[in-house]
Amino acid sequence: MSRETSPIVGRLDWTVTPYTDLLREVNSSTIVGAGAASVLVLGAIAGVVLLTWKRWWAPLYRDWLTSADAKKIGIMYIALGLVMLARGIIEGFVMRAHQASALGTLAQPESGLVAPDHFAQLFSTHGTIMIFFVAMPLLIGLINFVLPQQLGARDMAFPVLNQISLGLTAVGAALVMISLLIGKFGTGGWTMYPPYTGIDFSPGEGVDYWLWAILISGVGSTLTGMNFAVTIFKERAPGMHFMRMPLFCWTSLCVAIMLIYAMPALTVSSGMLVLDRYLDFHFFTNDAGGNMMNYANIFWMFGHPEVYILILPAFGVFSEISSTFSGKRLYGYTSLVIASMSIAVISFTVWLHHFFTMGQSAGVNIAFGIATMIIGVPTGVKIYDWMATMWRGRVRITTPIVYLTGFFLLFVIGGLSGIILANPSIDYQVHNSTFLVAHFHNVIIPGVLYGMLAGIHYWFPKAFGYRLDETWGRRTAFLFVGGFVFTFLPLYVLGLMGMPRRSPTFQNPDFLPFMYIAAFGAVLMLCALAALIWTFWTSYRNRLSLAVPGGDPWNGATLEWSTPAPVPEWTFPRIPHVVARDDWGEAKRGEDPWKAPERYDDIEMPANTAHGLLIAGAAFAFAFAMVWHVWWLAILSFLALPGLLILRGMMVIEPRVISAAEVEEADRRFRHQVANLTPVTRADEETELNRGVPDVSEFAG
Amino acid sequence: MSRPNTGEIDPKDTARAEIRSYAIGFVASLLLTGGAFAVHLSGLSVSWKIALICAAALVQIVVHLRKFLHLSFSGEQSREDLLLVLFSVCLLAIMAGGTWYVMADLGERMHQSGMDGAPMHSMSAD
Repeated sequence: MSRETSPIVGRLDWTVTPYTDLLREVNSSTIVGAGAASVLVLGAIAGVVLLTWKRWWAPLYRDWLTSADAKKIGIMYIALGLVMLARGIIEGFVMRAHQASALGTLAQPESGLVAPDHFAQLFSTHGTIMIFFVAMPLLIGLINFVLPQQLGARDMAFPVLNQISLGLTAVGAALVMISLLIGKFGTGGWTMYPPYTGIDFSPGEGVDYWLWAILISGVGSTLTGMNFAVTIFKERAPGMHFMRMPLFCWTSLCVAIMLIYAMPALTVSSGMLVLDRYLDFHFFTNDAGGNMMNYANIFWMFGHPEVYILILPAFGVFSEISSTFSGKRLYGYTSLVIASMSIAVISFTVWLHHFFTMGQSAGVNIAFGIATMIIGVPTGVKIYDWMATMWRGRVRITTPIVYLTGFFLLFVIGGLSGIILANPSIDYQVHNSTFLVAHFHNVIIPGVLYGMLAGIHYWFPKAFGYRLDETWGRRTAFLFVGGFVFTFLPLYVLGLMGMPRRSPTFQNPDFLPFMYIAAFGAVLMLCALAALIWTFWTSYRNRLSLAVPGGDPWNGATLEWSTPAPVPEWTFPRIPHVVARDDWGEAKRGEDPWKAPERYDDIEMPANTAHGLLIAGAAFAFAFAMVWHVWWLAILSFLALPGLLILRGMMVIEPRVISAAEVEEADRRFRHQVANLTPVTRADEETELNRGVPDVSEFAG
Repeated sequence: MSRPNTGEIDPKDTARAEIRSYAIGFVASLLLTGGAFAVHLSGLSVSWKIALICAAALVQIVVHLRKFLHLSFSGEQSREDLLLVLFSVCLLAIMAGGTWYVMADLGERMHQSGMDGAPMHSMSAD
């Protein structure tokens, strides 16, 4: 590993790709490695060819990459999250396939599809990707898309900052992706605990890829949190008091608060590890005064709020869909608000339960164990509230409701195993086993993934103007539920039998049947991924029959359903005056909810800018140069960052003005269209009759 | 769109006053940072050094909040600002206090002396 560092290309040379490994030795592990790199390269080439062939480069740049519109930024976040989700699920499949073939003997302990080091890279990238580059982009994207519309705002408080946040998150994702082709990723798991990840034990580029991906995307997430918080505090429509905000806005506020206060802890722990690795500091080394236990302490000070950053937006989505698809008002609004805020605060007091076994005394463990059990209470309150919302409602079994049902059944099991793990003496028995793996997948998949997919399904028509295919949507949901059950419930049993997590091999043949069941589950998860892609594709092909120009396909009650689908750039022709909680529902109970505003004004929208793109480019060059010790590029690109900020600071930037006439023309066309469409009852919601104009007389919620 | 983002920035305020406020903050921050380094290089005892550097850090936080982030307890935003400060202090107390609680306990069980579990041999290793 002691390669020469060239002044021009740093530590890069021709031996860093997985193809070199393949040429050196052909086995299943190197074939998988080279295959993954090839998928990346071919995917990139296919993308470039498609963009060139369809002449999409200019529209991509003009309409998307330089756009400062929060709705488009949200959609780009979600697209990023879905691409990374594909890689994460495939990695999960490879890991399950490996473990199903990893029964070793005492004489020959190593067997299976991939080599142990390769397996370690797989679980490290899988965890990193799923948390930071799937769950985070999905939820931040959804909030970006939905939050301003629900608040009655035109945009986020800081549109260009929003663009930069997206750019920085994408840089982190790109670093993880490029580690497939150039060099290796770290092998320390998604938490990258030192001293193993210190320079003495992990001298290569792997940990650095993780560190820079986390540092840069972490800054992006912190900025996003500030943007959300300021938007909620300052950009609400007149009359939108806090207690009139839809619940999704409340959970977004909680997420914003937690992002602001939790992400810096991650930046600090990663920054300290960077200093250790690059500048011979001794924060977390074994000798010279280092204390690696403080890394776990600081990391989980971020890590536990992060868990709730992930789950709370899903709770917001479930609040919206349980109300909409039951045709009822949300039960226990105030209790849900209090529960969300309680979770946001209590989540900062439980971090030690991630390292009960690190050696602190029983009294410390008990204090955090009790805090952990307490945080289960507000979550339980929420589950009851959603069930009460659906109770005696006319529930339509749409795709989001299938996800919600799966969530009810499975998340409660996951939460319960969490309460079991909150007891330190039990945690001592099952820590570092697959019981833990089963537990956190059991909360994250039915919680976060189902919640985000339900949200995407629910708000998709608002973004693109047509519904997603319900049949395929439900099939996808059932496959994700089945895939989860078969993949992860056996891991509970395996954990109790003593199977350690992150182990590339095992010698107990009793484990094997459960490994086969889990591998079958992983096949179902792959099918679910394929079905998800097919849902998008088939809906795109049938977009004319699925179109909902009326903009309110589900007979919703919150403000975002009052606008056309797809929603125009300016969202509202006039900023609405809110008079009630669920304002749009209130309007439906009164006379003609689609009444046109009396007056139209010019609308100022933030002008398109390449600023975010340039910042992201410089950040990527900086991170890549730091990973490979290309110092000249690192210095140049690091200086470019403040340079770009100063440059923009000195420019006079005019907003783009959309004339009142243009707004009026578009809005009148929409009102006219709504008046001429036949209203559809809820019973016919899934048929072609649904053009996005609901039967208002049916609105009782 | 052109509303100010904080209650502090009054459009009628001259740019001059605003720049002066930023300049005072910048100079004060520079002095406090330089002062911390000066204390470190000085011949004071270790406990004095730590106390002075911590004090400089705390003062610098106040300068940043006051001069750069326009926090104030008077004016239309005072209530929100007060809530923000109290909430931040609460969370920071949980984090810092929790770290002290956990790391001190670990240090004790590792039979280390010194503060926050810093090992005894920290000076002798190099």
